[in-house]
Amino acid sequence: MSLSDVTFRHRIRDPNSWKPWAKRDGAGIHSIDLDIYPGEILGVIGPNGAGKTTLLRVISGLFKHSGEISKSSSMRRRFIGHMPEQVRWEGRLSVVETFQMFALMHDETSVESILKTVGLSSKKDIPLDNLSQGMRQRLSLAVALLGQPLILVMDEPLNGLDPLAQRALTNLLSQLAEKGVAIIISSHQVAELANIVDRIALLHHGQLLVEGPLKSVKKSLGIKDEQADLVELICAATGIDPEDISLDLAEDSMLPFKRLEVEEE
Amino acid sequence: MNSTLGLAQLIMCDRLKAGRMMVIWPLLAMFILFSSWGLSDPKVNLSFGLTIDSAYDVMYASTAFIIFSATLGAVLISFDGISRDRISGVLELKLSQPISRSKQAYSMVIGHSMAIIIPVTGLNLIAIMIIRYRLGEFPSIYEYSVYTVSTGLLLIWYTSIQLLASSYARDMGSSIAVGLGVWMTFTLLWLVMTTVVAGLMDISVTDLNSSEYIRIESIMDLFSPNGVYHHLLEMNLDGFERHISPIAPFFAAALWSVVPIELFRKKMESMHP
Repeated sequence: MSLSDVTFRHRIRDPNSWKPWAKRDGAGIHSIDLDIYPGEILGVIGPNGAGKTTLLRVISGLFKHSGEISKSSSMRRRFIGHMPEQVRWEGRLSVVETFQMFALMHDETSVESILKTVGLSSKKDIPLDNLSQGMRQRLSLAVALLGQPLILVMDEPLNGLDPLAQRALTNLLSQLAEKGVAIIISSHQVAELANIVDRIALLHHGQLLVEGPLKSVKKSLGIKDEQADLVELICAATGIDPEDISLDLAEDSMLPFKRLEVEEE
Repeated sequence: MNSTLGLAQLIMCDRLKAGRMMVIWPLLAMFILFSSWGLSDPKVNLSFGLTIDSAYDVMYASTAFIIFSATLGAVLISFDGISRDRISGVLELKLSQPISRSKQAYSMVIGHSMAIIIPVTGLNLIAIMIIRYRLGEFPSIYEYSVYTVSTGLLLIWYTSIQLLASSYARDMGSSIAVGLGVWMTFTLLWLVMTTVVAGLMDISVTDLNSSEYIRIESIMDLFSPNGVYHHLLEMNLDGFERHISPIAPFFAAALWSVVPIELFRKKMESMHP
């Protein structure tokens, strides 16, 4: 699947006295070109507000965008498994009832094997209200695995998982990739991510700064240290001084490219 | 169709198990059962001129209590139908599934509606037993069908309006505000709006039994779910003249059944998480 010149901007509320319902363009992603190959794990990285989640949602067919994606959004929803960031499952329905609801949306009937894969088979009768955050992440993963997806889109899948579960998830992702599933994963847990990704795509202010295998990205950014981690990569690409990292990532001086007419939401 | 009904069934189960049902059940039980008991008293004297002669008359009179309790139940069940999922992140997952958004919309309307229709219908059956005990007669099957279908439609209308409002709300606060606002407008304020419209049209509001006022009230009722509900039920009552075409309530009922659901479906089609 390939993305060509894909652009999307959020419409955000901009009320004033005369137009209380007025909206204007907000942040988003701008002119993204990206190829996704079967069996490959693509890591999407970037600072907060870079557009990672927006890009993943566009790929999953949730936003109407401009530009070209080689498959239509309805077709993408069919073969992409989407795992959003931190779903707060709640309610009195049990895990298995909730999972059945999503299985119905795929016209799939066998749910036991996927629940077993994600380690939820012993918790299947527990109400959603009683699940821990880690178990909720597992349920989100189980939903993403429904329908034997060809592409898995995962937004911060490692959040809330204990170290063992994180390792189990990365192992599972590697196995899926070996079977030919393309995986797009966004995570701030850069150490775990660096171990499993084949390629990375670095986003900043909605723009794709650099993309490719880790080694070639390092080379293109002039990083000679083989051990350099993803933080250093982000710093090199965005112009942030590694010695002077602050939380204010919106300063113009840190922008390597032209500033878009984008205001933060 | 199977997936739509299957989804609706799971949504209904979720709503029936929700903690808020602990409030809704007693409310419904008190309003529906107590009103049937009280109104089926042979000595009852109603202030609005209806004489209780039959089981159907009791059922019709008790709709005043249905309108207060069951419609509020519909609001409480469905006011966060979309906004809760939006806040928790579940909506993003639902929207990314391959099933069409229209099917999702229909399953939500059916599931949420059934979560209030089932308790109300069950309590109405008990109410009929009470009427039988007090008055010694059952309503005919036709009368019971008209009553049940009309009540079901009323609850579907309220549910679809609430889901539509919930789909626009960005947080729970605005969601419940819109929900209760709509409910209060149709349940409490509509009489005031009717008198205002009558006043603007130079119709005297001192005599609420004048044919001119009844006609304008009947027309205004077509724009309110509660009014259409009463129109449908009054067709089965003797001596009720509303001075409008008998087709008008059916036409209004069809519009109330289609327009909110269709608007909700369209909103679902273009919805972002």
